[in-house]
Amino acid sequence: MGATQRSRRWLVPVAAVAVVAGVGTLGPVVADASPKLPGISAQELLAKVQTAKVDGLSGTVQSSADLGLPALPGVAGGSDSPSGAVTELLSGKHTARVAFAAPDKARVSVLDTMAERVWTMDGKSAWAYDSAEREAVKLNLPAHQPGKPAAGTPKSYDPQSVAKQFLDAIDPSTKVDVSGTEKVAGRDAYKLRLIPRADQTTVGSVTLAVDSKTWVPLQVTVLPRTGKDPAVQVGFSQVSFDVPAASTFAFTPPKGVKVTEPKTPTTRPDRPAKPIDPKAVPGKPNLKAGNEPTVIGEGWSAVVLVRGAELTGANGPLDQLLAGAQQVQGSWGKGKIVTSKMVNVLLTDDGRVFAGLVTPQTLQDAAAKAPR
Amino acid sequence: MSPSSAVAEPVAPAARPGRYPLALFRSELQLVFGRARTWVLLAVLAGVPLLIGIAIKLSGSEGGGEGFIGQVAGNGLFLIVASLGLSLPFFLPTAVTVIAGESLAGESSLGTLRNLLTAPAGRSRLLAAKMVALIVFCLAATLTIWLSGLIVGFALFPVGDVLLLSGTTIPLGEGLLRALGIAVVIALSLLGLAGIGLFVSSLTSTPLAAMAATFGTFIVLGILTAIPQIDVIHPWLLMFRWTSFADLLRDPPYWGAIGKNLLLQAGYLTVFYAAAWARITSRDIV
Amino acid sequence: MTQTQQQPAAGSPLVTRGLTKRFRGGQVAVDSVDLEVPAGSVFGFLGPNGSGKTTTIRMLLGLIAPTAGEVQLLGEPMPKAQLRVLPRVGALVEGPAFYPFWSGQANLLRFDAADSTADPRTRKARAGEALERVGLSNAAGKKVRAYSLGMRQRLAIAVALMQRRELLVLDEPTNGLDPQGTREVRHLIQDLAGDGTTIFTSTHLLAEVEQVCTHAAVMSRGKLIRQSSVAELRAELRPRLVVRTPDLGIAAETLKSLGVTDLKTTDETVEGDAVELPIEKFAAALVAADVRIHGFGLERPSLEETFVALTGEGFDVAQ
Ligand SMILES: Nc1ncnc2c1ncn2[C@@H]1O[C@H](COP(=O)(O)OP(=O)(O)OP(=O)(O)O)[C@@H](O)[C@H]1O
Ligand SMILES: [Mg+2]
Repeated sequence: MGATQRSRRWLVPVAAVAVVAGVGTLGPVVADASPKLPGISAQELLAKVQTAKVDGLSGTVQSSADLGLPALPGVAGGSDSPSGAVTELLSGKHTARVAFAAPDKARVSVLDTMAERVWTMDGKSAWAYDSAEREAVKLNLPAHQPGKPAAGTPKSYDPQSVAKQFLDAIDPSTKVDVSGTEKVAGRDAYKLRLIPRADQTTVGSVTLAVDSKTWVPLQVTVLPRTGKDPAVQVGFSQVSFDVPAASTFAFTPPKGVKVTEPKTPTTRPDRPAKPIDPKAVPGKPNLKAGNEPTVIGEGWSAVVLVRGAELTGANGPLDQLLAGAQQVQGSWGKGKIVTSKMVNVLLTDDGRVFAGLVTPQTLQDAAAKAPR
Repeated sequence: MSPSSAVAEPVAPAARPGRYPLALFRSELQLVFGRARTWVLLAVLAGVPLLIGIAIKLSGSEGGGEGFIGQVAGNGLFLIVASLGLSLPFFLPTAVTVIAGESLAGESSLGTLRNLLTAPAGRSRLLAAKMVALIVFCLAATLTIWLSGLIVGFALFPVGDVLLLSGTTIPLGEGLLRALGIAVVIALSLLGLAGIGLFVSSLTSTPLAAMAATFGTFIVLGILTAIPQIDVIHPWLLMFRWTSFADLLRDPPYWGAIGKNLLLQAGYLTVFYAAAWARITSRDIV
Repeated sequence: MTQTQQQPAAGSPLVTRGLTKRFRGGQVAVDSVDLEVPAGSVFGFLGPNGSGKTTTIRMLLGLIAPTAGEVQLLGEPMPKAQLRVLPRVGALVEGPAFYPFWSGQANLLRFDAADSTADPRTRKARAGEALERVGLSNAAGKKVRAYSLGMRQRLAIAVALMQRRELLVLDEPTNGLDPQGTREVRHLIQDLAGDGTTIFTSTHLLAEVEQVCTHAAVMSRGKLIRQSSVAELRAELRPRLVVRTPDLGIAAETLKSLGVTDLKTTDETVEGDAVELPIEKFAAALVAADVRIHGFGLERPSLEETFVALTGEGFDVAQ
């Protein structure tokens, strides 16, 4: 047996690498090949979405957010403040189990690493449970409590005309089309795509994957103007439209778990943040506001202005961020601009902060127009 | 799993197996478990629950702390889970690294490899036997912790119904079964590392070098996993989903991440086992 | 792999054709060796240190891959058919190697278990027998760590004897053995050969070769320089006429006049190649020339001298 023959054996591990990498990267793509569905117009699809009515569902939701914010070692999630929890949910990847039963039962559990945060309501009371602290918060719900968005309000209207009105209303700013089909959580879905017409925004498109049978949106994908990877994607990885058993929503505080019961139901429990809403689009970056924010412009190119934000101090990561920020100036003064894939922020030297899902130039224009 | 069965054929087409092909596997287990070193490793692992248990007992905490550790004082069963979880980042990988690094390099350095090959063990079959022994060792390691945690936990702490992460409670028996499941999942989580160790061990005749290189690789992978800037490659890193074992303590158990973890381990194992196979079957044994 | 259809001599259990090994450094350790070991022979494989014996044996057993050439063991190509062939071949390569933390018997059991054709039911008994044959019965339960070099060497031979073999390939089996041990191994080899086992053994002990080997081959600097039966070798060793006398000068001249060539004179003797026989003729001539003869006779050179003559003088290894 010659040396060449023996060295040929190394083709086996090389092939193994190729197969493993192939299965790992292409596998999901092949599985998610576009299904064949009858054609549908955007208006029809929108109308169907409004008629969507499910009595219950349960499933697993995966969310991933890559807003292109610079990653800083040591600041990844896990903050104890409520705002920290929100930003934590808006960054990185999360998995949650959701269940819903009409009209007012819902449960969301965020599957954290070696921990779980649960929010559940069975119509009469709501519970928030944090396994890391082993603490539960109970809220007694007022008689009427809005359920999940999918519950809708049983009003009689013509979905077709509402859909048309909506499309007409947003047409100047947004192009709406059905961009194809897709498999989401093993179900055939239409893709309803919204593309901003304005080029001031960093949002490339927002796509809703709408289930072709129940007309429930299964996934939301936000693409930036540049690049192919979604900035935000929230959707079901597995879903069932069977009505979950009532016991799913019940919560019995186990032995050894501290239960608190705030008097006023409006107070939110401290540590558990608000549940992931599959339809939620990420909000603005979390800044310590000096006073109420103002919105400049409208639609996709809206810019939020916050005054008197405290930018200095012992905030290590922020200083790090600012150190690398680009220095800009204009008629509005001087400042620093922090850019990312989607969110851009302009910090002026006089303490104003402009932020939005818009281009840096749009931020500067907004600053020029803004009252001092 | 083994590429050898498929690919070794053209190499030795006439190689009809003897009537006792499993004797080598049994002998391999005797070799691993017949050594004092192995028992020292297992004893160290068995000591983990003991140390944790005594520390918690002495500190006299009533179970206020976070995570599994904080639950031990209230329910001894969590000593099993906490010990398994705490052994995963360091003790278990070290033990696996020692055994895997020793496997082929040890035979090579003693010279016994040539005795085995002229016996003839067959290079592919010898590699398979080494791998099987490694898998059994991984299981033995985590089951040791399970058993030791069970004994110490029941001896030192009250036991009772088990509080799951989802806030629901299951009976003790089911809790023990889930802890056993965790032990098995953690053992399987170690297989990628075992595959790397086996490959590195096939490269050298110095067991210590093999162990050091394997552990070095493990450390590097750990560092890469901790750097957020390269999170695109994180899902491909060996330890990325190691903590998924805790998903067995949800109600119902969440299999998604565990499945991905096991697939990842299988991927690593396939690649490195194939590489070890290519190496051992083409190497000059001196 | 070019399959030369050149058939070996009928039934030859060990044949090599153009066997070559070039190590990574470029050194040719074995250079185009054609061995042919007759069935039932005891084949001595000789050569100075570093001449390539062990390298050849490794290639015979499939431990290392030849750079070129081929090996046939028991009529089948190596290393292709190794799983079929090697159970019928007992081997000892380059010194004893064992698990020091195990007893001698446990070591034997492990290597036997590696052979998938070996019957596990008779394993213990066969191990006991093999230990008995090499005289290790009393040390069977002792950890190999505590074995002496000779004991390990004996244990290594026992590994080769765990089963009935058709061919034994032994690399310096008597290395490190005491005189009794050496003699035991010699007897063992003779016994086994008597049972029809072919034995291929490398050795540095030429006395061994003279006593037990039927055939021999000599390696030098990776090349096979001689291969024949020992009888043939011996026949080639021309006896030398040796005359012990104080009258060296006259004796030398007398012998020279009688046609004796390659004359050498030492302090007490004159010797030379006696081309013509009978030798009485020389004795008579010497007596006639008034040479005082203290001793007179033919002396055969030892195999050692032949060996040195073949492989060259000098203590330094070739490479
Ligand atoms: N693995 C190796 N790599 C490089 N060269 C080697 C290797 N093994 C052996 N050699 C070289 O090959 C030559 C032959 O070595 P080999 O061991 O076959 O000699 P030998 O005839 O068995 O000697 P000895 O009588 O000392 O046992 C030597 O010059 C040696 O240096
Ligand atoms: Mg040698």
